[in-house]
Amino acid sequence: MESSIAEQQRILASDWGGGKSPFGTSWSKFMMWIFIISDALTFAAFLITYGFMRSISPQWPKQTEVFNMVLITFMTFMLISSSAVMAMAVAAARARQPKLAVQFLALTILGGLIFLGCQAYEWTNLIEEGARLTRNPWGVPQFSAAFFVITGFHGFHVFSGVTILAIVALRAAMGKYSADGVENAGLYWHFVDVVWVFVFAFFYLL
Amino acid sequence: MAEQHDQHSISYKTYLMTWVWLLVLTALALGLGYTNIDERLKAFLLVCTTLAKILVIAAVFMHLRYERINLILITFTPLILAVILFSFTFPETLGNATHLIRVR
Repeated sequence: MESSIAEQQRILASDWGGGKSPFGTSWSKFMMWIFIISDALTFAAFLITYGFMRSISPQWPKQTEVFNMVLITFMTFMLISSSAVMAMAVAAARARQPKLAVQFLALTILGGLIFLGCQAYEWTNLIEEGARLTRNPWGVPQFSAAFFVITGFHGFHVFSGVTILAIVALRAAMGKYSADGVENAGLYWHFVDVVWVFVFAFFYLL
Repeated sequence: MAEQHDQHSISYKTYLMTWVWLLVLTALALGLGYTNIDERLKAFLLVCTTLAKILVIAAVFMHLRYERINLILITFTPLILAVILFSFTFPETLGNATHLIRVR
């Protein structure tokens, strides 16, 4: 009898044992992962649709001629750097150093705001040059449709991320934070970075 | 056990090194974007650098390397579904499919 209880405990403790916490995380972190997975599917659909449109298109504008690649590279740099600082904010929150965590969070938010500013500048330039959802001066109309939809959705995610991080930073400054909360906000922020890695490679470079 | 790893294993130095590696990979992708090689080879190499980057971000920044294997496997589902969607739709574009799109 005793050996069977020990066997049961061994199974429950293993990675596939199930039990009360089958994934070994808090419920909030697991929900954040589920949300990230569903959001990733949205962006996967966008990027695959873009790939489809691009490969049936007889021509596609040369990105280096349409976009300011220095600006795009700078935006990528900002997002990757803010992601690294966000990871440090989580580490500081885990080490119970709220002041340091707030400083790192403020830097992350700053990075996000700079990214959004650059994107607003890029959109304004392209709209002034005549790009719209349904037409643009560089050939296939699908080019600007894909551009506005993909970067627009991503930009809105960055905006949401900045808002969430501002709330987390304010709460941390007031002492009302949990390390789990900071980590969950961080997971979302890193996901926004991951999406940009795909957009940067497939929309701007390919 | 996962929580213990979260708290102790990753130092600021690891994050800094990860950041440097991500910048190196970004520079590599940027270089690929400007090289004049076959489009298909370029696409393949860009997919490789992109996958390398997201694996690094997920493993270190998102702490996935310290999670249980079942959570890690779940996070791969969007990638697998995306590959399926891609392989269903992409053959449609082969051959003369230009009737589907119009140039103004």
